Amino acid sequence: MSLQELKRDMEGCSRCSNCKWTPHLQIKSWRFAKTCPSVDRYNFHAYSGGGKLNMANSILDGRSELTDAVAEVVYRCQLCGACQVACQAYRDDIDLADVLLELRATCVQEGFVLPEHLDMIESMKRQDNTLGMLKADRGGWAEGLDLPDINRQRVDVLFHAGCRYAYDPDLQETARTAAGILQGSGAEIGIAGKDEACCGGRAFEIGYQGEMRRYAEDMAGRVKASGCQVLVTPCSDCYYTFKYLYPKNGLDLGVPVLHTTEVVSAGIRDGRIRPRGRVPMKVTYHDPCHLGRRGEVYKPWAGADKLLRPVSFKQTGRLGVFEPPREILRAVPGVELVEMERIREYSWCCGAGGGVLEAEPAFASWTAADRIQEAEATGAQALVTACPWCERVFRDAVAGNRGGLQVFDVMELLNLSLQGG
Amino acid sequence: MLEWKPLPSEVVAELRDAVGPENISQEPAILDSYAWQPAVNLAKEPWIPRPAAVVLPGTTEEVQAVVRACNRHKVKYKAHSTGWAAWGGPGVEGVLQIDLRRMNRIVEIDEKNMLAVVEPYVCCSQLQAEAMKRGLNCHIIGAGPNTSQLASVTSAWGYGWSGIYTGFGGRNPLGVEWVLPDGELLRLGTPGSGAGWFCGDGPGPSLRGVMRGWGGTQGGLGVFTKCGVKLYAWPNGPAQPRVQGVLSDATTQDVPATHKVFWLFSPSYEAFADLAYEIGNAEIGYIHCKGAVGAMFALLAPRAMRKLLASPPIRAILKAFQHMTLFVIAAHTEGERTYQEKVLRKIVAETGGFFLDTSLLPFHGSFWWGLHRSIYPAMAFRPGGAFITSMGSSAEYDCCVRQAELGEKIKRKYIDNGTFFDDMADCTWGGIYEGTSNWGHLEEIGMFDRRDAATEKGRFEYLHATTRATIDRSLGFGLSSLEHKMYLLHGPIMHDYHRWQARVKDAFDPNNASDGSHYIPPLDELEREIAAYVPPQLPDFEDGGEP
Repeated sequence: MSLQELKRDMEGCSRCSNCKWTPHLQIKSWRFAKTCPSVDRYNFHAYSGGGKLNMANSILDGRSELTDAVAEVVYRCQLCGACQVACQAYRDDIDLADVLLELRATCVQEGFVLPEHLDMIESMKRQDNTLGMLKADRGGWAEGLDLPDINRQRVDVLFHAGCRYAYDPDLQETARTAAGILQGSGAEIGIAGKDEACCGGRAFEIGYQGEMRRYAEDMAGRVKASGCQVLVTPCSDCYYTFKYLYPKNGLDLGVPVLHTTEVVSAGIRDGRIRPRGRVPMKVTYHDPCHLGRRGEVYKPWAGADKLLRPVSFKQTGRLGVFEPPREILRAVPGVELVEMERIREYSWCCGAGGGVLEAEPAFASWTAADRIQEAEATGAQALVTACPWCERVFRDAVAGNRGGLQVFDVMELLNLSLQGG
Repeated sequence: MLEWKPLPSEVVAELRDAVGPENISQEPAILDSYAWQPAVNLAKEPWIPRPAAVVLPGTTEEVQAVVRACNRHKVKYKAHSTGWAAWGGPGVEGVLQIDLRRMNRIVEIDEKNMLAVVEPYVCCSQLQAEAMKRGLNCHIIGAGPNTSQLASVTSAWGYGWSGIYTGFGGRNPLGVEWVLPDGELLRLGTPGSGAGWFCGDGPGPSLRGVMRGWGGTQGGLGVFTKCGVKLYAWPNGPAQPRVQGVLSDATTQDVPATHKVFWLFSPSYEAFADLAYEIGNAEIGYIHCKGAVGAMFALLAPRAMRKLLASPPIRAILKAFQHMTLFVIAAHTEGERTYQEKVLRKIVAETGGFFLDTSLLPFHGSFWWGLHRSIYPAMAFRPGGAFITSMGSSAEYDCCVRQAELGEKIKRKYIDNGTFFDDMADCTWGGIYEGTSNWGHLEEIGMFDRRDAATEKGRFEYLHATTRATIDRSLGFGLSSLEHKMYLLHGPIMHDYHRWQARVKDAFDPNNASDGSHYIPPLDELEREIAAYVPPQLPDFEDGGEP
């Protein structure tokens, strides 16, 4: 795909500004009515989803040029997809998020790159991860767990930890817990250990689209070699990459892809996982963008005029993973789940996505702080999520917070119950 | 690269000092995001003149500083709030765009006196959400809940679903804070004498006629920075309806037992009008609006509509339900609801119609909430991506119905020639306002794909055709007149109002700094326009067909 192929989408923008607001039927207050962190933080219309369509259209029409200032606008965006959900509530013919991705790719093609992003790409090329860590250490998170290595043994389930869980020392325990819960439920899961590599999704998002293919092929090779029937990941970013970016780019892993929460909630439903211990806690759940709206399976449609595209082929975000994490929380005795105002496909972003955490950490923190305030407004004691990137940025955001809001992954909370509460 | 007219560096420096360096931009692509305005834009290209720069003031004082700088340096400026449509942007080259996005506070909600004070970037759904928590509601114009509450009452013309209960936009401003075109600050009504915001007409200066006249100045006469607006009862309504889904998938179980939504069907246009008069006279209802079967299907299922209408029998069946009214009861008590419903049943029977109680339908909750949040107009983008409106002069309702009939007839031609999406020429929007006054409007909306260049000629013709029809039949001042420079057609038959507007412009804006492209130019410029104006030669409009 290219920007030019999306020209008609850009020309369809009616400049209604709905891309800036939570879908209106869901606006519950003045305070939490906004949906786009980018325009909420930087204010110029160009920062909104629609504004970026207009800028891209201007560049394609030869009215203006890509510059450092324009690239700054393009990169100050988490690619959270909230603008697309809001837009597509009222429009059938605009795939806003695709334009944002292609703008990134155009920036890279034209040489407007960010040093922090280049570091990520270098790290991926040299060490197969986005975090600048050694490839040899990738399997360290699973040390001491009795998890089969797919290099030696065929398994039913391939567990793909993802870069953040594999290397972030604060979050490795979550991956260990998730794998342990799956194992305890009777699933025969295996891991690739140090041979696991990045999914490549982050490279695609920051504009280095070609880089993703190599990782996809690598991933497909591991899936095939493992003999697995299903690929499971606890990482929302990887999940989105496998469910949306790979198929959109013609890459097929050949097996179903599930998020850990989907497998575990099914295990709770059929009784293989039984949370018994009480965890008396009022919690609220943050829908990760890449597990929720962006985690919706890719729906290919080949027509030319999107006005004629059936609604079932729109990427509305409605079919993302929303219920499984909530089912898990509701199954934990003592947990009281209260909802924030912006949830599910119209959730506010955590701030970490799209390369923002690496290149614009202050903007990531600002976005996370907004979500923390929303969580606190519910009266919850804890903010629970299901994505290592969200958890990372939330943990950092509450570190200096006097409110005392705790941050958990769903699996951590479930494990407290499984361990007796 | 587009050649354009940036601001001189000394002006930029002053503006930067006024709003802070992070709140000004002269980057061409960023400016072009302000120049994309396909709505209310008859030009071939959706691009309007690129602003010379854009500033984001955060306070009234910053707005004043910006406006004064513009006056000093002979730079035109144009402010917008949420920024939909061409009237929010520059009409000529070299204009400074003032984006009021940072002025986004609800300053106050006075429950006892049923009013709110808002800044320009508070959208209608934000205010409604906060009002409902207090058992109150606000008027939301038909353009939708994404619009600025302040702009809709100070600067534009608009009517919303609840008009029978809340009036139209122009009825709703109270005290107003106004940065005049030269930068002076004027507080209209009670805030002008430090007495709060409860009245727009004093004690303190009352200039409502100058401030907004009939249709508003579309940002062509200074900048409004705060405004008191009326709030209304939200009878027995939930403080925060629990809704699942975002639009067509939405559901809610929170419809109060004292609320009802009806579809009323009349056998003819005449009976449809009689029904409205009787409803107005009976002083019942919270929402009264023309329901349009064609529009409803077009908005909710545009692809299915394309197929359905290919079948003449289905078209005929749908057409039989054309004279439809949406009617909502929102009562404080069960007794009041029963009374209103009884009265409604009697009126419907007496006017030869029948009705459907939508509480029997599966989407009842969704429809109820969609009406109160005024979300359906936003769906008019679905069939083609764009829409225009026409006819719709405010008048006695019989006159409005006559406009609906004519609008339907004229639009038919432009559906047949491919300009507009086929909605059976049944996309009329409007209702009666203010109960017993039986005054209202009905506008005829045409949905189209602006990307299809072939629609351009037809759109232009249609707007002129409908405008001419209102003139030839003495039907009043239609909404087509909100199009660029339509005053040249309307002015001469309406007491030369455009010359009076120009005199107001001259008096309030001596440096002609406030871009009046979508309002009125100074008098000398207007006289030159009048002298040079040649009305377009178009076919016989009423026929919608041959000359």
